[in-house]
Amino acid sequence: MRIDQSSSLLPEVKRGKKIRIVVDGSFLDAFEGETVAAVLLAAGVIKFRLTREHRHPRGVYCGMGVCYECLVRVDGVDNVRACMTPVVDGMNVETCREVEL
Amino acid sequence: MTETFQLAVIGGGPAGMEAAITAAEAGVTVIIIDNFPSLGGQYYKPLPDEFGARKKTKTEREAEVLFKMVKGLPITQVHGALVWGLFPDEKQGGWLVAVHGEGAPKKVHVQAVVLATGAYDTPVAFPGWTLPGVLTAGAALTLVKTQRVAPGRRALVVGTGPLLLSAAAHLIDAGVQVPAVCEASRPFFKAIPYAFTALGQLGRIEEGIKYASKMASARTPYKMGWSIVEARGTERVEEAVITRLDSAYRPVEGSEQTIAVDTVVTGFHLIPNTGLARMIGCEFEYCQEKGGWVPLRDKTMQSSQPGVYIAGDGAGIGGAEMARLEGRMAGLAAAVQVGGITQGEAGGVYGRLKSELKHQRGYARMLGALFTPRPGLTALAKDDTLICRCEEITLGEIRSAVAAGARTLGEVKMITRTGMGNCQGRMCEHGVTNAIVAALTAEKATHQQVGMYSIRPPLHPLPVDVLADAAEELD
Repeated sequence: MRIDQSSSLLPEVKRGKKIRIVVDGSFLDAFEGETVAAVLLAAGVIKFRLTREHRHPRGVYCGMGVCYECLVRVDGVDNVRACMTPVVDGMNVETCREVEL
Repeated sequence: MTETFQLAVIGGGPAGMEAAITAAEAGVTVIIIDNFPSLGGQYYKPLPDEFGARKKTKTEREAEVLFKMVKGLPITQVHGALVWGLFPDEKQGGWLVAVHGEGAPKKVHVQAVVLATGAYDTPVAFPGWTLPGVLTAGAALTLVKTQRVAPGRRALVVGTGPLLLSAAAHLIDAGVQVPAVCEASRPFFKAIPYAFTALGQLGRIEEGIKYASKMASARTPYKMGWSIVEARGTERVEEAVITRLDSAYRPVEGSEQTIAVDTVVTGFHLIPNTGLARMIGCEFEYCQEKGGWVPLRDKTMQSSQPGVYIAGDGAGIGGAEMARLEGRMAGLAAAVQVGGITQGEAGGVYGRLKSELKHQRGYARMLGALFTPRPGLTALAKDDTLICRCEEITLGEIRSAVAAGARTLGEVKMITRTGMGNCQGRMCEHGVTNAIVAALTAEKATHQQVGMYSIRPPLHPLPVDVLADAAEELD
C-alpha cells in the first residue's frame, strides 16, 4: 500500500512521473523513483520467487541488496534484485519463475 | 579500460561521504562507488531523486548538507554499481577495484581505498522466518521512508536495539497497525551503569521519546524481555507467536501469546558488512559487542593491508555519528598517504578527531552492552528451521555435520553447502556459527575457533559474461 497521508516522521512527498509496468502479464501503475519491490508490495504482491529445492515462496527480506531473496525476472533477465532495481516505463517483471540460478 | 584515481571510497553512507569529502578537500582525486541509485546509505535513506518533498526531516536536511559538499568537490560519483572484487596491483602497487554496473568503469586503479560498506540487520532464524511477510527492520524502514510504501497492514516488530522504536514509529505513521514491539533485552535496567554516557546523547534520547510517544498514542506496547518464537502461515505470514525470555534470552515455556499479523519486522541489532576486507586478507578479531567479526585497524583507520582504510559500521557497529568521524579520519589518513597533504598539516585535525571519536565510542559501547543479542536467541531455531536461506540448509543438517566431526565454519560449508548460495554467506554465517558453538558446548568451542567464511571474488553473483570479460582484463 502506498502511503499518502502526511505525518511528522513521513512528511508529504510528490512521487515521480506516473508510469506503467507489466507484472506477470498485467499492467500495474508505478511512479518513477520507485523500486520494483515497492511497486509489487504496493500492489499486494509479496511472493517474489520460489526456492530451487523446495519451491517455497520468498519475498523481500533485507531490503538492501544483501540477501538475494527478492529475485525476480526483469525484461528477460533472471535473478534481478527487486529491492535495488528502479522501475522504468514499460518494464516487464515476472515473479516466481521456474528457471533460476 | 582502467580509470585511475588516488582514492576509491566504497560505500556512500555517512562514513563514505565524509571520507570522500575530507580527501577531496585535501586535493586528492576521489571516486565514490555505491550500490544504490543515490548517496546516503542505510542511515540517511534518501528519497529517490524523482520524488519531491516540500518539508524535510532533520535527518534529511543533515544528509543534504553532505550531498551538496560531495557535489561541490571534484569527486567522481558512481551509483547503482556493485564492487565485486578488490585486488592488489602487483605491477604498479596500489589497488584495483572491480566494478559492475551500467555506465560504471569496470576497473579502477587507486593508491588507497576507504571501505565504508556499512552493516545489515543480524539475521536471526526462528521457525517461519523465511515466509514472505517477514522482513528486517532495515527493509521496513527503507520501504516506508524512501519509497513511501507500507510492507503490510498489521506488523509485529521484534528484535533488539533502538532501531525497533524507529521502525515501529515509522510504521505507525505509515498507517500500519503495530500490535506490539518485542524487545529481547531489558534496556532500562541494563542502562543504569551508562547513565552518564546516555546524558551526553540528549539528541538521541529526544528522538527516542518522539518514537515512544508515537507508540503510546497508537497504544502499541513495548514488551521488554519478549521475543518472537515462530511466524506461521502457509504461503505468507498469518500469525506470530511471542514469548517471554529469561536473562540469557531463552524462551520461557508457557508464556506464549499468538498475534494475528500479516507482517513481522525483525531487527536483532546489526552485523558489519566486511566482505571486501576479508577478500584481501585483512586481519580480524571477534568482538560480539561490535557485531561479530571486525577488522583490526590502527588509529588512522588503516587495516592490516597497507592503503586500505575501513570506516563506519563496516568496521564494527558504532552508529552514524561515529561513522562520520571515522570517515573523516580515514579520508585524512588516505590524503596524507597519497601526498595530498603533509603529516604536519593533518596533525591538528587528527588530534581533534581522536578526542571526538573517544567520546563517541562510549555511546557505541553502551549500545553494544544494552542490545547485543545473547546466545539464547539461537535456541529459537528448531531442527527443521532453515539457517541457510539460499541453499535451504536446516539447523538439523548443520548439527549432523558437527556430529560427523565438522568443527569450523569452513568444514560445515563443505559438508552442507551453507554459505554457498547467492548471498555468499552474509545471511547464514551468524546462525551457522552459533549453531556450531551451541552444538559444541561440551568442548567449550568459541567463535574464534569456529572461524568465518572465506570470501573470494566475486563478492556478489555476476552475469557470466561480465566475469569472463573481467578475467581477461584482470589477468
